[in-house]
Amino acid sequence: MIRTMREIPYVNLAAQFEAERSSLMAVIAGVMAEGAFIGGSEIARLEAALAAYCEMPHAIGVASGSDALILGMKALGIGPGDEVITLPNSFVASAASIVMTGATPVFADVLPDQNIDPEAVAAAVTPRTKAIMAVHLTGRIASMDRLAQIAERHGLLLIEDAAQAIGSRYMGKPAGSLGDLACFSAHPLKNLNAIGDAGFIVTADGAIAARIGRLRNHGLEDRNTAVEWSSASRLDTLQAAILLMRLAKLDNVISQRRVNAEIYCQLLDPAHVYIPPSRNIEFNSFHTFVIQVDERDKLKDFLAMRGIRTAIHYPVPIHLQPAAEDLGYKRGQFPVTERQADRILTLPVHQFLSTDDPADHLASYAAGTNSSDASVSNSRT
Amino acid sequence: MKVRYSYLTRQFAETSAIFDEMRKLVASGDFTLGKPVAEFEQRFAALIGVKYAIGVASGTDSLKLALKAANVGQGDEVITAANTFVSSVGAINEIGAIPVLVDADDSFCLAPDQLEAAITPRTKAIMPVHLTGNTCDMPAVMAIADRYGLAVVEDACQAILAEFDGKRAGTWGVAAGFSLHPLKNLNIWGDGGVVVTNDDAVAKHLKLLRNHGLKDRDTVEILGYNSQLDSLQAIVANWLIGSVHEITLQRIENAAFYDQCFSQIPQIRVPPRRPAGKSVYHLYMVFAEDRDALLQHCLDRGIGAKIHYPIPLYQQRGLRHLGYAPGSFPITD
Repeated sequence: MIRTMREIPYVNLAAQFEAERSSLMAVIAGVMAEGAFIGGSEIARLEAALAAYCEMPHAIGVASGSDALILGMKALGIGPGDEVITLPNSFVASAASIVMTGATPVFADVLPDQNIDPEAVAAAVTPRTKAIMAVHLTGRIASMDRLAQIAERHGLLLIEDAAQAIGSRYMGKPAGSLGDLACFSAHPLKNLNAIGDAGFIVTADGAIAARIGRLRNHGLEDRNTAVEWSSASRLDTLQAAILLMRLAKLDNVISQRRVNAEIYCQLLDPAHVYIPPSRNIEFNSFHTFVIQVDERDKLKDFLAMRGIRTAIHYPVPIHLQPAAEDLGYKRGQFPVTERQADRILTLPVHQFLSTDDPADHLASYAAGTNSSDASVSNSRT
Repeated sequence: MKVRYSYLTRQFAETSAIFDEMRKLVASGDFTLGKPVAEFEQRFAALIGVKYAIGVASGTDSLKLALKAANVGQGDEVITAANTFVSSVGAINEIGAIPVLVDADDSFCLAPDQLEAAITPRTKAIMPVHLTGNTCDMPAVMAIADRYGLAVVEDACQAILAEFDGKRAGTWGVAAGFSLHPLKNLNIWGDGGVVVTNDDAVAKHLKLLRNHGLKDRDTVEILGYNSQLDSLQAIVANWLIGSVHEITLQRIENAAFYDQCFSQIPQIRVPPRRPAGKSVYHLYMVFAEDRDALLQHCLDRGIGAKIHYPIPLYQQRGLRHLGYAPGSFPITD
């Protein structure tokens, strides 16, 4: 029986605005009144706050999460002729940023939890490998202890693509503090979100941080001296001011998402739905809540009929994209990734989900995912 | 009276309208490639008189993406001006191409008579820079480009509504990049830029390049960047684009006034005003016999003046590997 036809959006930015109605426009007005739209004081304040949040000495704001990856790798000296090992099931920016530095992405398959498989990484190392780029997909931290061992054994740099993972932790340490350098996104759909593109880089290395500071601003050391060539990739002052306001609320956002995730875990029947188990060494911020099911498309349609919007991150793996043709990969090379691509479904987990009769809505998901109408079954992953 | 170098704080005399627009945007959540961006792109294309305008994240990105869309890449040589801002060369370098510098003439634009000597078998494109808002001698540049089969990508970052022979900057080459940086004649409140083109294929390529190469939500056609004009900034641009003709006229009038005053002062030389060129005076620059003393004199009297740019590109550390010796570009110096 369909009990509610209230539309349940996959994301709800309008609700975020409602909750911030008084504070957000005041922040925008404050920046406008100051007129310092590039490099205003909010940038340095935000950077200090982000560094503290990630328990690291340096955070550097840039124009987007994708630019954070490109500038971060350039600052580490990654370029033409180098190979960077990463996974094929991320958003395309992870691999594209490697290509944009002139280096070559080398893919390694993933584990049942969608994160990179350290065994596959070890097998992919060649004499040209310069770095491993782990992606904390969905907000779940990759096996950074194992990856650090492999990196050390082969003398490789370890980069965190933490675009989806601000506030997540692993063995007591926050995302951003688990490798040589970490790249974050503050895109409007992220847990810590700007109202336009924004990103930042976190590192312990002062020299690398200083270099990123130049790379984001035409390679300029001061107004008149360019010490190397680069483009412009700055975090707008306006976005920095908004992020400063929202960073103070981030822990609450994450708590609410964890509550929602926990309700899903209790309501969804493991016989039908695979949810990667939560390890006691991890603290997941749930940028997304991804389940794996057979007949995924049927379930997606079923939920859509009940007004529940879902998404797929991502239906076509990077190695099978038209853009990846030059890299020479074939279907069948990453069987875990390819199988997951047909089975993954992202359920809404945002912090505004439960503002209106949460149990009712979540119960209706449960009814949907367990319903025989949807013919959902789950063969073990 | 204090004469400010820039006038950004004056843009907020009447802000209630723009606040309403921003409030609507924030409530809608349409932050990425939203309706305000599409509206701005249409209006900007109409303003310049081209078929397509594509909003990107910065003026530098507009050059980088325009070069890429013109199929300039690894190992190709791109000829540009020796006296420009570092971003022109930064953009060329960023896509793996090699910048080749030619000297400027007194109009601050690259000297067409020196272009041919810089062309080699590896030259793929010319990037004339319409520095200070002054359009290069584009008929001469285009004639050379056509003869050698080179693409022309205009750096029009400082040249919205500038003209040469009555034809707008940005309408000459296969594509052109404009900046909307807060200090530009048409400015937004953060970084942003626009690429214009009349070429269907180049426009299609640019739309892919700025959005991760995504043809649709799930299909990556080419590897690209994330380089978008924020919807929020597009609202600002739409708000100001209506006044750009007026701003331009005001700047031209101010410049004419300066020209007249400075003609009385022998120690200051005003650059030649070419009859074919319509400068929009993004910058008003003069040559002074004792420049540093004049700058100090201005600053002492509350006049905000600056030098664009004291250290030429070829003497910057970033370009050392190209091996230009001091004195290679006498006019630029």
